[in-house]
Amino acid sequence: MTLYLLCLALFCVGLYGVLRKRNLVKIIVGLGIMEYAMNLFFVLLGYRFHGRAPIEAQDQNILNMVDPLPQALVLTSIVIGLGVTALVISIAIRIYEKYGTFDITKIKRLKG
Amino acid sequence: MIDNPKTGMTLIVKTITRLTIGLILLFGIYIIFHGHLSPGGGFAGGVIVALSFVHMMLAFGKDVAVTKISKNLASNLESIGALMFLSVALLGFLGGTFFMNVLAKGTPFRLFSAGTILLSNISIGIKVGVGLFAIFLALVVLERAKKEE
Repeated sequence: MTLYLLCLALFCVGLYGVLRKRNLVKIIVGLGIMEYAMNLFFVLLGYRFHGRAPIEAQDQNILNMVDPLPQALVLTSIVIGLGVTALVISIAIRIYEKYGTFDITKIKRLKG
Repeated sequence: MIDNPKTGMTLIVKTITRLTIGLILLFGIYIIFHGHLSPGGGFAGGVIVALSFVHMMLAFGKDVAVTKISKNLASNLESIGALMFLSVALLGFLGGTFFMNVLAKGTPFRLFSAGTILLSNISIGIKVGVGLFAIFLALVVLERAKKEE
């Protein structure tokens, strides 16, 4: 239970970064932290204490494995996160190109 | 072009990059080829392969990296990776169903022991490695377009 609460704390750190920071780069870093907190939570749900990685090994009889399903899901989630991060960074670069600043309070005017 | 002091980072970074870049590439290829035996596989190995090229781009500048893999070659290789994966999947129809293993399975825990999984991992590795490099290249080109204005 403590581990899940720590995951929630990490998620809240990312949420704070997204909601309170004014620099676009810091908002993107906050998004990344939220994403990794979610990934950590999913992996922890499938974790079993004293469990081994779910991989067949030679000449060994593995009795206690962690759950491989959340790990496969998280791998997909990491790939999607990579695409989202690349998209957001390219949008941020475009915004900087147009307005000359990363500060979201200064990006007010609609410029054609 | 490589030893031009005006492009890229300092001499220290360039020397270390020259020493480590081959090892990083080799480690990525190892992860791809052992995807059915150990943790890792196509995606993780492809990311490491892409990081070796990104490393080169950071240390030596964009022009040197583009001489190794140009933009057209990157997009072509990415398409080839996707088509290879599709053809491996369609090869299963020789045995009956989609993604069916039609190759010999071999003895367990050897390098060539998993039939079509190795081919799938290689195609995913090509796709991910070159695709990630292409994303980074696109971001750098975007940066360059801003400075020229």
